[in-house]
Order: sequence, then C-alpha cells, then structure tokens
Amino acid sequence: MKKFLITGTVVTLVLAGFVSLFASASPDGLESVLLTGCETTDGEITGGSCVLQAAGEHEIGGAFADYGMSFLDNEILGASLAGILGALFTLAASTGLFWLLARGRKAPETADDGTA
Amino acid sequence: MEALALHIPTDVIDGPTSLVFALIAVLAVGWCTVAARRGLDDRLVPLAGLATAFVFAAQMLNFPVAAGVSGHLLGGALAAALLGPWLGVLCVTVVIAIQALLFADGAVTALGLNVVNMAVIATFTAYGVLALALKVLPRTRVGVGAAVFAAAIVSVVAASAGFVLQFWLGGEEVGQSLGAMTAAILGTHVLIGIGEGVITAGAVTAVAVARPDLVHALRGTALARPAAAR
Repeated sequence: MKKFLITGTVVTLVLAGFVSLFASASPDGLESVLLTGCETTDGEITGGSCVLQAAGEHEIGGAFADYGMSFLDNEILGASLAGILGALFTLAASTGLFWLLARGRKAPETADDGTA
Repeated sequence: MEALALHIPTDVIDGPTSLVFALIAVLAVGWCTVAARRGLDDRLVPLAGLATAFVFAAQMLNFPVAAGVSGHLLGGALAAALLGPWLGVLCVTVVIAIQALLFADGAVTALGLNVVNMAVIATFTAYGVLALALKVLPRTRVGVGAAVFAAAIVSVVAASAGFVLQFWLGGEEVGQSLGAMTAAILGTHVLIGIGEGVITAGAVTAVAVARPDLVHALRGTALARPAAAR
C-alpha cells in the first residue's frame, strides 16, 4: 500500500507542478461555447456579444487566483508552485475529511471505555 | 495573463436557479456523506485522499479537442470507478470547493451548480454505466478499460447536459439560440469525454493491474487473464 501511495503522490505532484505548464491555454468546452458571438484577443473579449460578458469578477479572487501566485514575479514558477501546493492541500484536506468520516463511523461500535 | 477559468463563473446563471441547485447539492452531498460512511474503513482513507488530489491535478491539464477549444478531466468517472458512487461524489466535491475558494475557479455562488454537474451527475452517471458495462464485458484489462472509457464519455456529456438545464432555467441567451448552444455544448463534451475516457481508462487499468483490491468497481476480484479459464 505504501509503495502504491508514494507512486501515486509523486505522479500527482508531477502532473500538478510540471505537466500542467504544458496544458492547452485555449478556453475549455464550456467557456468556448459561452464565448460564441464574441471576438477575443489573447483571452480578452474585444468585441461582439456573448454570454460570458455577463460574468462578473470572482467573489474571492485571492493570491492563488487562476492557479498562479500573484506575489511572485515569475509566472511559470508561480503556476508550478500553485499546482504543487494545491495538490498537497487537496491531499491533506481530503485525507483529513475522509479520516474524520471513517472515524465517526466507528464511534457507535466502540464501547465507551471511560477515557472519552 | 490569460485567465484559466474552467467552471461556471459568476452571474451566468441567475440567483434563484443557483440557490435551488445549491440546495440540491447540499442534499445530495449530505446523502452521499451518510452513505459513504458505511463503506469507509481506515484502509480506504489514504486512497480516497490520493484520488482527490489526483483529480485536482488532472483538472489542470487542459488538452486540445478542436481548434481553439480545450477540455479537461472532470474526474467523476475516475472517482466512481476507484471509490464507488458515494465516496466518489465527495471526492469531486472537495476538489470543486477548493478550486472555488482558493483558486478563483468557478464562482462561489455557482458552487451548487458546479457540484451538481461535475460531482453528482458525472459520478452517478459514470457509476451506472460502469456497473452495466461490467455485467456484459469480461473482467480483463481490456474489458475494464472499455467499461471505464464508456462510463467516462457518458458522464461528461451528462454533466454538460446539467449545465444546459441550468442555463435553460436561469441563463440569458446572448449571441446564439439555446438550441445552437445546446448542440455546441453537447458536441464539444463528446470530444472532451473521449479525452476523459482515455485518461480514466489508463489510470483505472494501471491501478487494477497493480492493486485490483483498490478498484471499487471490481468489488475485490482480481483481473482475469484474457486467456485463462474463469
């Protein structure tokens, strides 16, 4: 199990921190359809009319918005680190949540031994 | 810098519709939490965490599907195959919540919309197709790969149909009719589904060969050798 988990974690971090830098920058399936009717230059809407013009700014934004690090000058390094930290955070948060869930399940089975 | 926006952004679907889907998402995820608890033992926890992190990473990997259009893994089929439907929904929900709260990907007000489409609809559809396909296909590497491939395509198209429903209820047509938009969304997501199918089939068969006991869809049985008698 350990070997499997380590291999999986390494693969995940390589995908998030390195392979992600080579991902297509084109709008995805949803965004491209919402952009139909608009003209775009470098990802910015420059004319026409389309659904996506109604979209507002994200409510939170934040330092890691759009998988970057706004406080780093180096965009490539920022994107790579954001991917790695995001994957590690996801790993920690989900493992923690699932652990709590599994632990909660056992509570009724384990007799109260007085140690609370 | 070009924005990497993958999910439903702010103000594309109106408030009432977003609220209704937020309630549906809360009910569905709550139900999955209760149901997932029954099948969850400590051994599964690290695998579920790893699968969640993998889905997060894989969602960043946009692959080209047509000129100027990309697609990325949704992860519902992968989560359903490895973890089963209940835990699978929770896995994708965690990813979507982290993306909206930390990475400004997908509006906070659209969380319910995005969770219903990508976590609930995609995962349950994938699990249904997978369960049906594994009834007729042999439990070999090729059979499982084909079942996962089919489940992934149907799940992605179903998730995109979820968006079409939400847009029909609470979106405003601009620049194209709803009919044209529906055709474009479904068509594009067939292509994205093929990409998702290839990646998911590769990932699930890799796990099935190394550790068949970790593939929920196989229910503890090892892969049969193609030539071996059953």
